[in-house]
Amino acid sequence: MSIPSHLHQNLMPSEVNFLAENEMIQILPRYSMKSIQLIGTKIPNLRALRREKVPIWVALILKSQGKCNIVPPKWLELGYLKEKYDEEIKNPFKFSDLPWHWIEISKMLLSKAADDLSDPSHQLRSIIQDLKEIRLVKSKKGFTELNESNIALTGLSLLEINEIRPFVLGVMNKLREIHETIDREGEEEGEEEDDDMD
Amino acid sequence: MVDYYDIDDILATGEKVPSIFNITVPGLGYLEGNPGKPINEGTKVELPLWLAEQLAHLEAPDGTPFISLLEPESLNVKVRNAIRTDPVALDVHSILPNYYKMAEKYCSFFSDEELSEIIKQMIKERSLEIYSYANNSSKQMNSRFMLSLDEFEKRLFKIASESNRQMKNWLKE
Repeated sequence: MSIPSHLHQNLMPSEVNFLAENEMIQILPRYSMKSIQLIGTKIPNLRALRREKVPIWVALILKSQGKCNIVPPKWLELGYLKEKYDEEIKNPFKFSDLPWHWIEISKMLLSKAADDLSDPSHQLRSIIQDLKEIRLVKSKKGFTELNESNIALTGLSLLEINEIRPFVLGVMNKLREIHETIDREGEEEGEEEDDDMD
Repeated sequence: MVDYYDIDDILATGEKVPSIFNITVPGLGYLEGNPGKPINEGTKVELPLWLAEQLAHLEAPDGTPFISLLEPESLNVKVRNAIRTDPVALDVHSILPNYYKMAEKYCSFFSDEELSEIIKQMIKERSLEIYSYANNSSKQMNSRFMLSLDEFEKRLFKIASESNRQMKNWLKE
């Protein structure tokens, strides 16, 4: 293949961001617009000041033209994120439950629709940074528990998994190779590498 | 032969290992610097792993294998104890540039479960260290630890720091 080898098994953060742009978000249109049928999705009839759900990429375009306000998702709010942060501290072996695309969505909204958010953006940025860091420290702690067959990633989001994937796969593959050198009698054939990562 | 085209595998099998001839073979004297003479039973020679592996499997007509493999220095008790004490402090690269490949081959050859457990533990502890270095790659590039990485670990460091760099760049956008 002609793409560079580090992109064979892994996505770039910008690609993950692209995937996140397909998530739906509520907007508050300021103008009316007829519905548009697209191949993958449908933009509903927009009527001024009536909430509608559209993909984030549509919301961002309309927002940049000043044609709508974005209703921030309910988790993108200082109180909620603080709660999650406390949860992270309380459970050192568990990741708190955040949306699959929380980093990407919060980044997009913070940079392009900061005026629609309910809290000051510098405070949100700092709590998001804290959350990211504490989760990274946790997943790093988890690396000591790596083994040749499986890994639990419950609670991690796509971008976080994507970041550690090349490293974790490398280590696990090597562990598996070493593990398989020994014939263990009575053990079942075909121990396979767990694909939890995808 | 899964690793037929793997250059590291080829390099690892080129590594010399100590072995003992179990029988006298005519004409092989050049292996110990006596061209034209036979090689005697009990002679200790260093053979590349790819050759030694085959000879140790092959049997002479009376049923004894041509050679017996001895434990190479890179995997002897001293090194094993060093790994047990502190895997991170060990200079793997100076022992063998393709250490893990070699260890892998020996594990499968001797079915040495103890060795495989040691190596697995070593991978885990060292990779954690590699990950920390990959996350601050701008600083400590010249540290002693970075010079002690074997080829596999270097690759690991490279992909880990690459994905970290991508992530940082994207967050800055």
